[in-house]
Amino acid sequence: MITDIDSLLYQAEAEYLSHQDLANFKSQIFSLEKRLQIYETIRAKETEIFQNVANQLSSNFSQEPEKIRRALKHWLTILRYCGMAMLSENPLYLKHRILEWLPEQIKAHQMQDLEQNLFSLLQKRLKRILNSEQFSILQPYLEQAEAALLR
Amino acid sequence: MINVADLISESSLPGNYFAPDAYVQGDFESGLIENRQGRRLLALPDTLLKGLYRGLASEVGPAAGMVLYNCGCKWGKNFFRRFSEEVSNYYQKPVEQMEMIELIQCLKQCWKAHGWGIIEPNFSYYQQGFLVVKVKHSAFASTVESAEKPSCYVEAGLLSAFFSELSGTNLHCIQTSCESLGASSNQFILGLATRLKPAEAMVEERKSHSAIMQSLCQER
Repeated sequence: MITDIDSLLYQAEAEYLSHQDLANFKSQIFSLEKRLQIYETIRAKETEIFQNVANQLSSNFSQEPEKIRRALKHWLTILRYCGMAMLSENPLYLKHRILEWLPEQIKAHQMQDLEQNLFSLLQKRLKRILNSEQFSILQPYLEQAEAALLR
Repeated sequence: MINVADLISESSLPGNYFAPDAYVQGDFESGLIENRQGRRLLALPDTLLKGLYRGLASEVGPAAGMVLYNCGCKWGKNFFRRFSEEVSNYYQKPVEQMEMIELIQCLKQCWKAHGWGIIEPNFSYYQQGFLVVKVKHSAFASTVESAEKPSCYVEAGLLSAFFSELSGTNLHCIQTSCESLGASSNQFILGLATRLKPAEAMVEERKSHSAIMQSLCQER
């Protein structure tokens, strides 16, 4: 999205933007506003979201508190990067900054079951915190993370 | 019960320090590139590297490999120091306190960000006293011309110094396969020089990596 706006800005150097370009620009700005709201919600409710997930995980995997802490740290980081990737509409940002970084660590610690469980709980929690439209905007980035880390 | 607020406040949650789009910064106008800590990076064109290799070969003949290996060792020591500093600063813990998997992941991402290839250390032979390193798409192999044996001497020296510094033990490094000879990857064996000595003759005889590895492990 940032690139789209950039290209419109470059285009405006040579001429006034056409109606279609302006409509595109407005749509980008409108979309950015929605994304900002989602980002702000996730940021403001980070602790609440993950505390709920942590409590449920603790009862599902009561013998493994250290692994739960590690998995929570992973997904705190992943959700933060998903948020920024969503805000800038940049799946490559998510890929390079975290999804090429974590898979082998998750594999080495043999935490796939726990992380899969955490991911399901996190999705459920996010669906309650965000409305359906907001969740659908964030969802592709969560799915991108799931595909890279858990499948 | 786990307190998430404490978890967030007590630990840093960094991602991939060496993500290429973040790590390599360039300025088109000045033509400079630098890393994310503002340290200058140097891009070397293939033509220059090939020229250096040819010049060195014509000046010192068969000793060129040894010269390049020693250059790689010197570079590797400095590289390890810079790598340790940057990684420790970013992840807020000394390299010695990092988990091996995390450190190796850093090395892999670092190798890739610098354009040196896709590196894969293999610790399966740890008990036998060897470390095997595989590198695909090696930038070092792409500049080798008309070699008759594995010739990525700078890369071997670099690996030798890096893992020597990391382990605190002097490790020698021998290349057993080379992309410049049509192999699917560069492969290197690291270990004590005395243990690796027999491998030198086997490389000259063009034995395969697996045959050399098998022979070295049997000689123990």
